[in-house]
Amino acid sequence: MKKYNENIFRIVITIGAILSSILVLLVFFYILNESLPFLKKVCWKEFLLGGTWSPLSSNPSFSFLPMILGTLYVSFLAIAIVMPLGIGCAFFLSFLVKKSHSKVILSFIDMLAGIPSVIFGFFGLVVLVKFMEQNLDMVTGESVLVGGILLSVMLFPYVITGCAETLEKGKEKYYIASQSLGVSKWYTMRVIMLSYAANSIFVNLLLAFSRAVGETMAVMMVMGNSPIFPRLLGRAETIPSLIALEMGTATYKSIHYSALYTAGLILIVIILIIQFIAYKVNKMGSRRFK
Amino acid sequence: MKIKDIIFKSWIYISGIIVVVVTFGVFLYFLYKGIKVVTLEFILEAPGGMPLGTEGGVFPAIMGSLMSGLLSGLIGGLLGLCTSIYLVFYCNNKKNQKYMLHALQLLAGIPSVIIGLFGYTVLIVGLGLNKSLISVTLTLTVMIIPFIALRMKKALEETSKDQFICSLSLGIPKGYTIIHLVIPNALKYIMTSLGLGIVFAMGATAPIMFTGAVIIAGVPNKLTDPIMALPYHLYVLVNEGISIEMAYGTAFVLIVLVLLINLICHFIGNFEDV
Repeated sequence: MKKYNENIFRIVITIGAILSSILVLLVFFYILNESLPFLKKVCWKEFLLGGTWSPLSSNPSFSFLPMILGTLYVSFLAIAIVMPLGIGCAFFLSFLVKKSHSKVILSFIDMLAGIPSVIFGFFGLVVLVKFMEQNLDMVTGESVLVGGILLSVMLFPYVITGCAETLEKGKEKYYIASQSLGVSKWYTMRVIMLSYAANSIFVNLLLAFSRAVGETMAVMMVMGNSPIFPRLLGRAETIPSLIALEMGTATYKSIHYSALYTAGLILIVIILIIQFIAYKVNKMGSRRFK
Repeated sequence: MKIKDIIFKSWIYISGIIVVVVTFGVFLYFLYKGIKVVTLEFILEAPGGMPLGTEGGVFPAIMGSLMSGLLSGLIGGLLGLCTSIYLVFYCNNKKNQKYMLHALQLLAGIPSVIIGLFGYTVLIVGLGLNKSLISVTLTLTVMIIPFIALRMKKALEETSKDQFICSLSLGIPKGYTIIHLVIPNALKYIMTSLGLGIVFAMGATAPIMFTGAVIIAGVPNKLTDPIMALPYHLYVLVNEGISIEMAYGTAFVLIVLVLLINLICHFIGNFEDV
């Protein structure tokens, strides 16, 4: 009887695992398959280095360059903002605040990760965009700058939680030793802790970057969505917004439709490259401090 | 104190304070703006007025979000649990294990909008389903399987290996050990991952925009009914400029719902310990 149950359990588990693996692979190969017609028809030079995106004109041109640049621009901007703030805040929480207080603050920062991105988009629209329009004398507040600021707030949890964790570990390892050698608290933090955590901070930033690249709703709602070359105070469009905005209007199996899948594929490739670098750096770092 | 230390010190204080203020600011902003709009009627009534959404409430959207979130959490949770158990305890071939893990990580990294694109063409256009609860649920399930499986795998790996080996060497079957020893031990983290998965599914807007969420619908009675969803409702209210007031209310309800589900899952997970 026991033996019988055991086999059933094993079979159920295996079927579940196989089912999810098939689903996962299906998604990936489907995307690949649907973008093939476009990749065959349009030369890579045109869609990576061309000038304009106008899929519906009589002489259609497909260039993802403005969208790729827009995506990278807004993500780099977000990282540039979140890097000093996030690292500083992680130090602040691990060294300057009481443990019980920092736990509460960290759990609130974590909760930010649970807030749906459409709410952030709404927040950006009613607070940041409005602020830009009223105080910076801009025609429209929708810009790359707003997208970057908003994204940086959304990235807080991903950067700060990881960094604070590493700093806690570093504190256990070196802090007391360094204190008993008479090294000042600030020197310990500035030199020892920063160099100890540098690697993992870098990995956290990379992972945050790959999140920023894939973010759709929040960015879409505050960036104006014009497929033009991005400027800091001008409108721009990201690849995810492009897909979200045009997937409803593209005719099934048309070249436009296939182009959208290719855009998705490019996005996945960008994310894979970032994650691969993060994986390698992480491996190197864990070797160094053993 | 050297000048470098002073710069360092001020950097840390300033950034710490900015982050804390912004974080609490976001929560308090929606709390303050939302509490004025949310009444019992707002929660229990369907949207009304002209254009639609300027009056009334969000009840169908709450139900739609809850049903699609919980359903996909149920399916995705079960599949995710199976996958993680298989990966940790049953997969003897190291190579296969590595490939499966990489595949899961690959899908976990795919932005949700691409899952939406996939769901739209496969379910709506390809299979000819209506925009319905079932199409939303399936799309969200695909999205959260890797998310849940990877977290549950971590939870299972952190349970005590000694206990597991002791149990096996006492002649207790593997499946029995997993059900009665490993899962109860890891229940807390399993439930937290499930909660995060459900929250992730309920908050997703991009995947449901074209797979099933519509501007107005009743509470779904069967799987093939179209649904309203809170995040999409919020997006429509804001994007079409229908009513900012109502949008504040919707955002408030959505945040509260998300936090509540997290709390409930946390509570269920901790229940066994008591």
